[in-house]
Amino acid sequence: MVNLAPSRNGWVVWFTFLLGLLLSVSPLPQFMEIFRPLWLALLLTFWTLALPHKVGMTTAWVLGLMEDVLYGTLLGQNALILSLITFLVMSLQQRLRMYPMWQQCLILLVIFGLAQLAQLWLSALTGNRQPTLALLLPALVSVLLWPWVSYGMRGLSKRLKIN
Amino acid sequence: MAVFSVALMVVDARFALLKPLRSQMSLVLMQSYWVVDLPSRLYQGVASQFGSRTELIAENEKLKTETLLLQGRLQKLAALTEQNVRLRELLNSSALVNEKVEVAELIGMDPNPFTHRIIINKGERDGVVLGQPVLDARGLMGQVVELMPYTSRVLLLTDSTHSIPVQVNRNGLRAIASGTGNPERLELRHVADTADIKEGDLLVSSGLGQRFPAGYPVATVKEVIHDSGQPFAIVRAVPTAALNRSRYLLLVFSDGRSPEERAADAAKAQENIERGADPATTAPANPVPHAAPAAAPAVAAPAVVAPAAAKPAAKPASKPATAPATKPPAKPASNKPPVTAPAAGTRERIDG
Repeated sequence: MVNLAPSRNGWVVWFTFLLGLLLSVSPLPQFMEIFRPLWLALLLTFWTLALPHKVGMTTAWVLGLMEDVLYGTLLGQNALILSLITFLVMSLQQRLRMYPMWQQCLILLVIFGLAQLAQLWLSALTGNRQPTLALLLPALVSVLLWPWVSYGMRGLSKRLKIN
Repeated sequence: MAVFSVALMVVDARFALLKPLRSQMSLVLMQSYWVVDLPSRLYQGVASQFGSRTELIAENEKLKTETLLLQGRLQKLAALTEQNVRLRELLNSSALVNEKVEVAELIGMDPNPFTHRIIINKGERDGVVLGQPVLDARGLMGQVVELMPYTSRVLLLTDSTHSIPVQVNRNGLRAIASGTGNPERLELRHVADTADIKEGDLLVSSGLGQRFPAGYPVATVKEVIHDSGQPFAIVRAVPTAALNRSRYLLLVFSDGRSPEERAADAAKAQENIERGADPATTAPANPVPHAAPAAAPAVAAPAVVAPAAAKPAAKPASKPATAPATKPPAKPASNKPPVTAPAAGTRERIDG
């Protein structure tokens, strides 16, 4: 990925990712654990749509690797999942941008759900299979959060003129 | 990218090649658990700053009574430990291993709700080893499954991939307690329908898996269901440890020797004892006065400190009577001062 345009305020992108990493391990009440949104996936989706020349597969992969270390899963598991999400978002990028918000949400629900199913499959391979399909809940919650994340971050990137 | 990820996963699962990478990354990343724990820590700090005086006094009072009670129990324990060592010598069985413990603090829960793992603030650099047992004040909690330089991950008993060999404290019945994924429940697998196990039984670790030390409380049996349609009884138990509430944990350091080495050492010690038996015959008078002062403070302390603890005081009082009584038959075992010495040492440490 060659950066032709001089990047401005690029640190904000990384700062949000750092925040996402923190949020993805922040303690939640027991009953809310199964609703934990896929923060990194949401942020990656936003930045891939906003700055496709800058945030892409490599970023997703590295972030996934970090998440693996944090979660103690096999190195590469979350990296694969996040790359998958980024790949799907990038291939639908042109259309996703044109869609109204509710349609974006629907598409993202499918993408995130798919990613969570892949996650289930991978963790089943490593021996701890979740007993229920409750693992689709984070995808749902993430999608419900998407409008807020999207609008909020857009405001931020407009104000800071990130590119 | 996908191929690379899969390759990485396979390598990580099969080989130890990526260990250094992981530990280096965790060095930085594990700080995030610390960071997200900060608010609750801060809140606790503030709360303790502004704790009211009466509350503190009440707590102090409560802790004092608790200490008194525990000390009373410990005094009994010292005598019992002594007695146990003596009886074990009579039976020619090996002495109980003394474990060292170290306090660790919980710094994070695993974000995955389907696994029961926690993160503690002691790691490889603190001497933690893989598979090390972790306790809290009330019982066994789990074992260390992943080491990082300054933190480690502990798999709790109730994780659905965890099982622990246990024993019914009442009658020594052995079983395997498996986690269910429910933080309040363990299940005993393959317990015969006719087995003598009932509600309220305490399950202690049996030490058979050579992972966990023997004799620590694990769970209490909550219900035993006899279903004639099932080949085995369904036994459910509740962990005694507060698995999802404890903040301070104990890491147990048993000696690092393997069982073989331990056996060899024990044999050597036995040989030494036998060799030293002849000079030791001159010193049978030694252990008796040695035991007496040990029993004396046990009597004196509750009498002085706790007039309320009349009952505990009465019990140690009867102890010296039995202690010398067991001594004469223990005469052939008077060749054991070297063995009692470590026991006496531990007792002193417990008392202190």
